[in-house]
Amino acid sequence: MPRLPLGSWVDSSVDWLQAQFAWLFDAVSGGITGLYDGIDAVLSAPQPLLLAGILAVVAWWLRGLATGLVSFAGFALVDSVQLWDEAMATLSLVLVATLVTLVIAVPLGVWAARSKTVSAVLRPVLDFMQTMPAMVYLIPGIIFFGVGVVPGIIATIVFALPPGVRMTELGIRQVDSELVEAAEAFGTTPRNTLLRVQLPLAVPTIMAGVNQVIMLGLSMVVIAGMVGGGGLGGAVYRAIGNVDIGLGFEAGVSIVVLAMYLDRMTGALGRQVSPLGRRALAKARAATAKRRAAQLWAHRPQPVTALVGIVVLALVAGGSGFLGTGSPAGAASGHGKKIGIGYIPWDEGIASTYLWKELLERRGYEVETRQLEAGALYTGLAGGQLDFQTDAWLPVTHAQYLEKYGNKLEDLGSWYGPTSLELTVPSYVKDVKSLADLKGKGDRFKGRIVGIEPSAGMMGILKDKVLKEYGLEGEYEVVDGSTPGMLAELKRASERKEPIVVTLWSPHWAYSAHDLTKLADPKGVWGEGDGVHTLARKGFSEENPEVGAWLKDFQLDEEQLTGLEAQIQKTGKGKEQEAVRTWLDGQPGLAEQLAPQ
Amino acid sequence: MSRLQADHLFKVFGRRPADESDAVRALVAGADRDALREDGVTAAVVDASFVVEPGQIFVVMGLSGSGKSTLLRMLNGLLEPTAGRVLYDGEDLTALSPRALREVRSRRISMVFQHFALFPHRTVLENAGYGLEVQGVPRAERETRAAEALSLCGLAGWEKSWPDELSGGMQQRVGLARALATDADLLLMDESFSALDPLIRRDMQDQLLVLQKKLKKTIVFITHDLNEAMRLGDRIAVMRGGRIVQLGSAEDILVRPADDYVASFIQDVDRSRVLTASAVMTDAEGPADPDAPVVGPDTLLADLCALAAAGPHPVTVRDAGGSTLGVVRKEKLLAVLGGLAAEEVTVGA
Repeated sequence: MPRLPLGSWVDSSVDWLQAQFAWLFDAVSGGITGLYDGIDAVLSAPQPLLLAGILAVVAWWLRGLATGLVSFAGFALVDSVQLWDEAMATLSLVLVATLVTLVIAVPLGVWAARSKTVSAVLRPVLDFMQTMPAMVYLIPGIIFFGVGVVPGIIATIVFALPPGVRMTELGIRQVDSELVEAAEAFGTTPRNTLLRVQLPLAVPTIMAGVNQVIMLGLSMVVIAGMVGGGGLGGAVYRAIGNVDIGLGFEAGVSIVVLAMYLDRMTGALGRQVSPLGRRALAKARAATAKRRAAQLWAHRPQPVTALVGIVVLALVAGGSGFLGTGSPAGAASGHGKKIGIGYIPWDEGIASTYLWKELLERRGYEVETRQLEAGALYTGLAGGQLDFQTDAWLPVTHAQYLEKYGNKLEDLGSWYGPTSLELTVPSYVKDVKSLADLKGKGDRFKGRIVGIEPSAGMMGILKDKVLKEYGLEGEYEVVDGSTPGMLAELKRASERKEPIVVTLWSPHWAYSAHDLTKLADPKGVWGEGDGVHTLARKGFSEENPEVGAWLKDFQLDEEQLTGLEAQIQKTGKGKEQEAVRTWLDGQPGLAEQLAPQ
Repeated sequence: MSRLQADHLFKVFGRRPADESDAVRALVAGADRDALREDGVTAAVVDASFVVEPGQIFVVMGLSGSGKSTLLRMLNGLLEPTAGRVLYDGEDLTALSPRALREVRSRRISMVFQHFALFPHRTVLENAGYGLEVQGVPRAERETRAAEALSLCGLAGWEKSWPDELSGGMQQRVGLARALATDADLLLMDESFSALDPLIRRDMQDQLLVLQKKLKKTIVFITHDLNEAMRLGDRIAVMRGGRIVQLGSAEDILVRPADDYVASFIQDVDRSRVLTASAVMTDAEGPADPDAPVVGPDTLLADLCALAAAGPHPVTVRDAGGSTLGVVRKEKLLAVLGGLAAEEVTVGA
């Protein structure tokens, strides 16, 4: 069987598309970003509880008093776990994705319902869109659209489009053919048959499709969070990376609150806009009118009352939103110049990123930070959508990314090091201190070394070199997995005092969380150890000589880094910059030293 | 001039248009429908020709698959004939543009469906006014006319109801009102009463006949129920395998079935309610007995039986002018009721 170079075809066509249609991608990206920013601005303007009130009135109007109260409680919960801004960002993302999806899906569905050819052509395309793992097209998405919300929204659209199209097609196809014939028999034009008969009768099915689109959109927000989409997805992604079960749960519950709200509201809206649904509602209301208690909980205000309520709350909200504005005047040399920093949610990345955000803002720059998955981070940096990142492990761990994008990046040097890669066991495994000690003890560890993502640089070194050099091949199997999985496994084993070997690296917070032994590497197979480098996009330091110089001179020692990380842990999520400020206050002169005026 | 004329209509469903016109040529040359089916070509209607006069109820009768519904849909252009013409008041509908054809359907032909085809998202009044809405009639006039049509069909007071709140018979009356509201001259009724239960069906048939006396529409009525065909039809076309196998009045078909197929078909028909005295009378031999009962030629056999049984004499048949047309003998009456074709009966003196 000859090797079909499918992958390299795709590779080169991605490059070609990027070169030929950059203007188109920029336009799409600009449009979607504008829409997202607009909706997010509206949702973020009011006080959280006020907006929760508005959303609750909408629920009251569409579903009844009980739903309204529960909605308010749900949103109050989101606010109280301090994920409100994230939730609104996610809501905006889902709304934009849903809007764009419907604008594409409904006409496509109508077209497919009217033409068997279109339907037959669309079907495999939709299958492809729905089953292709999102991560596969996220990276090209970043190449085309840059990091941020856009590739996340695009990925959501790709994933959510198929049910939108299918449900529209189904809805129209299942309209009784005799009704369509009746319309034709009375001389109705095809256009009016669609508008007056088919679409109105298909509304319940189409609304079920809308509902699906929204639910699928919400299920994609975590993936969007990995490419800089932020929001609740970003919070979940960070929680996974740090095995922060509490944050993960809070963010997850917030997603559930949004999902249930949107689900119930679209369901109710479907009944409101569909003529048949309105009839069913009227019947149901007539039935419950007899029971007074049920009547109270099912009470729904007249649309006018609801509208007035919403408008009043919205006016108050708008007013209060504007009162709070007023940004601190930019000081000194930055002159409000915009700088984008990307980071992988690893502790040293978060610490150094927020340190620089604080420092640069003090110097008058406007800084935007984006949390990303490693591949997305490098792609975004190479594409110039990000200015720099502070967490590149070079020359070993991130070598693969440098190999691909090296000529589009600028290395501003190492600010911390050396790091090390190692195999690690819990300290209660007394007799294993070095890699050589592992030999012959495979049974105790069930022959497993718990690894991380198979794509990680250290996994290659482990499988190709370390096992061979220490004669562990055959006795141990390296289990591919993920960093969070490895950390969870380590936690579980530690609690039960079971023997375990994991791949780990320093610096890592796991060393402060558990009592661990780094296995010595007398043969030096793991290599020298990386430095944590700052990488900028090509040309950054030329355009920003001041910041470039600061970053080149950036250094932290172990005490400083662990101190900063500990402060961030202590202050709590979402307040990283506050933690940095507290920490800087305890380090007199450091800010001056890192970013001299 | 006839109102509606079908002129050698063919409808063939094939994979390609070329297959279809080939098939028509083959059928004209005498090819068999089943032979064509092996080539993947379905001949739904083969060489159908008939004329419907204004004010007539023309019934097309056939079992399912006989092509009667396809034939009906060619009459208002919902299906385009593969060959042949449809002339409506002398105008060839097959030659019209889609837009002109829609205009004809909107104003001059209306249709009543088997399963009523009422729009569930519209009230009874809105349903009845649908055709007028398509015509662009202003709302106030539309509602007045739709309400008139509803009350004509016995549905006054139900305007604000929804279709699913009505019984089947009432729903079909809405369907009928919708068709009548447009003032179209031609009414196409596709198995319109088949989905109703027998009592309601009879009721609707009676209502249609009453309405027809008043409105004098031209109606093409499709049915698979021969009794219904006999009750309603001024003229009846019996279809089998896409062809019209007999065309004539109810009496023609009952008394002179064109072939064995039609003959087997009519076995179940209640002859006493279809045939009249004129179908069973024989020439009077000598002067009529003065005691003999006298009837008109249109008297149904069902009524005749009671009279014939009352006395020993043959029943005398006289026309409105009082001249004797013939007599009905018991032997012949029984024989015809028993299902023998009228010609087969030889009445012994």
